[in-house]
Amino acid sequence: METGLLGIGAGIAVGLAAIGTGLAQARIGSAGIGAMAEKPEMIGRVILMVAIPETLVILGFAVASMIIFILGA
Amino acid sequence: MLEPMVKVEIVGHRSRLDATLACLQRCACVQLLDAAAEPALGLTPSSADEGELGESARLRQLRTRIDALIALGFVPPAPDGQAMTATELEDVSTEIEELAPKVEPLVAIIDALEAELNTLPRHVESLRRLAPLVPKLPELESYETVALLVQRRHAAVIGWLRDELVALLGSQFDVITDQVDPDTVGAVFVFPHEQSRRVHALLAGQQVSRVRLPDEYRTMSLGSAIASMETRIVDLPGEIEAARAELVELLGFRTHLHPARALIDRRLAQLDALRNIGTTERAFAVIGWAPRRDLDELANALQREVGTEVLLTELDTVENEQPPVLLTNPAVARPFELFLGMLALPRYGTFDPTVLMALFMPFFFGLMLGDIAYGLIVLALSFWARRRWGPRSEVAADLTRVIGIGAVWAVIWGVVFGEVFGDLGHRVVGLEPLWIDRQEAIGPLLLFAVGIGAAHVILGLLLGLWSAARTADRHKFGERAALLVALCALFTIAGVAAERLPTGLMTPSVVVVVVALVVMISLQWPLGLVMGPLDLIGAVSNVLSYLRIAAIGLASVFLARVANELGAAAPLALGLIIAALFHVLNLALGTFSPTIQALRLHYVEFFDKFYEPGGELFSPFGVAVATEPEVAAPSRVLVEA
Repeated sequence: METGLLGIGAGIAVGLAAIGTGLAQARIGSAGIGAMAEKPEMIGRVILMVAIPETLVILGFAVASMIIFILGA
Repeated sequence: MLEPMVKVEIVGHRSRLDATLACLQRCACVQLLDAAAEPALGLTPSSADEGELGESARLRQLRTRIDALIALGFVPPAPDGQAMTATELEDVSTEIEELAPKVEPLVAIIDALEAELNTLPRHVESLRRLAPLVPKLPELESYETVALLVQRRHAAVIGWLRDELVALLGSQFDVITDQVDPDTVGAVFVFPHEQSRRVHALLAGQQVSRVRLPDEYRTMSLGSAIASMETRIVDLPGEIEAARAELVELLGFRTHLHPARALIDRRLAQLDALRNIGTTERAFAVIGWAPRRDLDELANALQREVGTEVLLTELDTVENEQPPVLLTNPAVARPFELFLGMLALPRYGTFDPTVLMALFMPFFFGLMLGDIAYGLIVLALSFWARRRWGPRSEVAADLTRVIGIGAVWAVIWGVVFGEVFGDLGHRVVGLEPLWIDRQEAIGPLLLFAVGIGAAHVILGLLLGLWSAARTADRHKFGERAALLVALCALFTIAGVAAERLPTGLMTPSVVVVVVALVVMISLQWPLGLVMGPLDLIGAVSNVLSYLRIAAIGLASVFLARVANELGAAAPLALGLIIAALFHVLNLALGTFSPTIQALRLHYVEFFDKFYEPGGELFSPFGVAVATEPEVAAPSRVLVEA
C-alpha cells in the first residue's frame, strides 16, 4: 500500500512538472518559430529558450527519484 | 581561443593605392575600417572618380553576361590554376560582344523547341479524343468549328451553351456531342465564319478558356493534324540536340569565363573598398584590424608587391573599441565553433569555450545514448552523411563530425553500461557492464550525473573568476567567488547529510554558506537581497539540471528494452519487425534529444557562469565574395545585356 502511494506520488511529481514544461514550451516554441521565420540566425537562442523550461521536469524527476530512493528505501 | 588582433594603419602615395588594395586582397588578413571616420587622422573619404564608377558599371554588366552564359550549363568548370589578367579581361569583354548574337538565337530556338515538345503531346491527346466525333470537319468550307472537352459531371454546361447560341445565332449553327471517354464529354460547335467574333465573345464572357492549335495544324483535318504532330514529336529531340551541340561547340571550350568572373569579383571588391580609404591630396591611408600573427607576413607582402612607398604601422586602440573576433581552435574542436555561432560569438578579450565544448558535448551525448549498437549505427550514418553532404555544406560537415565524435563516446559508454540495443546484448550473448547496469543501478547513475553537473558548473565558475580577474572586474570576481564557495559548502552539507562526510563539517559548512550569501547580498545591495539567494538557488538548480543526462539515458535504455520485450513476445518475423521499428524510433530520439540537451547544458548551465557574448566576426577584405552565377532566364539577360 505504502509503496503504491509512493509510486503515485512520484508519478504526480514528474507528471505535473512535465505538463508545466509542456505548456511553457508550447508558448515559447511558437514564439520562437515566429522569430526564426524573421531571423533564421536566431536558432541558437530559440533552442536555448525552448530548452529552459525543461529544468521544471528535471526537478520533478529529481523529486520523484528522491521519493522512490529515499522515502522508499 | 580568440586570436589577438591589432589595429593597423597603412599609408602611402596615392599612386600606389590600387597595388596596395590588390596586395591586401590577396593576403585577406585585414578587416577594413572607415579611415575617414578616424578623427585623429583628419582624412577625407576616397570617393570613386568618374572613371572608377564607369569601370564598376562596366564590370557589373560584364559579370551579368558571363553569369548568363555560365548558367546555360555548357561552360565546363575551369581547370585548377587557370587564371586571368586584367588585359585578358578586356578580350573577354570583346569576345562576349561577338558571342552573344550567336548564342542568343540558339537559346531562343532551344526554348521554343522544348516548349513545343511539352505542348504537342497535350494537343495530340485532346485531338485523339475528339477524332471520333468530327472526322472531316475542315471540308466544311466557310464554317468554323470550336471543340470543347468537358468533365462529365459538368456536362450540363454544353446544353447551356447550346441555348445561348440559339439565342445568338438562331439556326445558323450545329453542335455534335458525345462521350469521348468515361470521364469526358466532347462537343463540337460548327458555325459560319462571319459569326466567329460573336461566338468567341460569348465563350470568353463565360470564362471558357481556349487552347489554340499551332498555326501550321489549323487547316489540317484532325487525322492529318494528329499524324503531323506525332511525327514532329519524334523529330523534336533531334532538333533540340542539334541546337545544343551548336551551343557546346560555341561555349564548350570557354573555361576561362570562370577565372574572368573571379577577377571581376576581385576588382569590384577593390572598387567597393575605396569607400573605406581615407585620402589627402597625395596620400592614402587604410585603417583596419589584422590578426597579430599575420602582421609580419603582411608587412613583407606590402614591401614585396607594392614597394617602400607604403608604410605599415600598428595603432593604439581607443578605449571601448571592440576588435572583431577570430576563433582559432585545433582542427578537432573547429566543428564546435558552429554552436558558438548559433548563440553569439564571445566578446573580444573574453574566453572562447570551443575546446571545452569539444570535450564535454560529445561526452554528454555519449553518456546519454550509451549503447554500442546505437553508437556504431550513428557513427556509420555520420560518415555517410559527411560524404554525401559534407563537400557541399560546411555546416553539414561540422555537424556530422560533431555527431561522429559523440557516437564514439556512445560506443565507449555502451561498453561501460554493457548495452547493445538496450538489454539485447545481455539476453543474447550475456554481455555484462564494465561499471553499472543503468536499468538496475539508477541511484548511482543519478549521483554520477549530479557529480558531472557539479564539476561542470564549478569549472564554469572558475572560468568566470579567471575572466573577471583578467578584466579587473572586482565586483564580478567577488560575486562569482562567493557563489563558488557557497556552492562547495552546500555540497559538503549534502555529503554530511548522506553520511558520506564527517558530521563535524556540518557547522563550518553552514557558516560558510551564510557568510558567502551575505557577501553576495552586499555586493549587489540593495537588489542583492533578492538576487543573492536567487543566484545560489539558480546555481543549485543548474547542478540538478544535469540529472537530465541520467533521465534521457534511462528513457533510451527502457525504450530499447520495450522494443526487445515486444519483439520477443511476437512470432519471429513479426517480432523482428516490431523490435526494428521501435529501435529505429529510439535511435532517432536517442540522437536528436541528447544533441539538444548537451547543447542546452552548455548554453544555459555552463556558459551562464563566464560567457560574455557580443563579438563581431572578423571579415577580412579579400575573402572570396559569394556571388553565385544567376541561373534565372539566361537568354533574357543576354538579350537585355
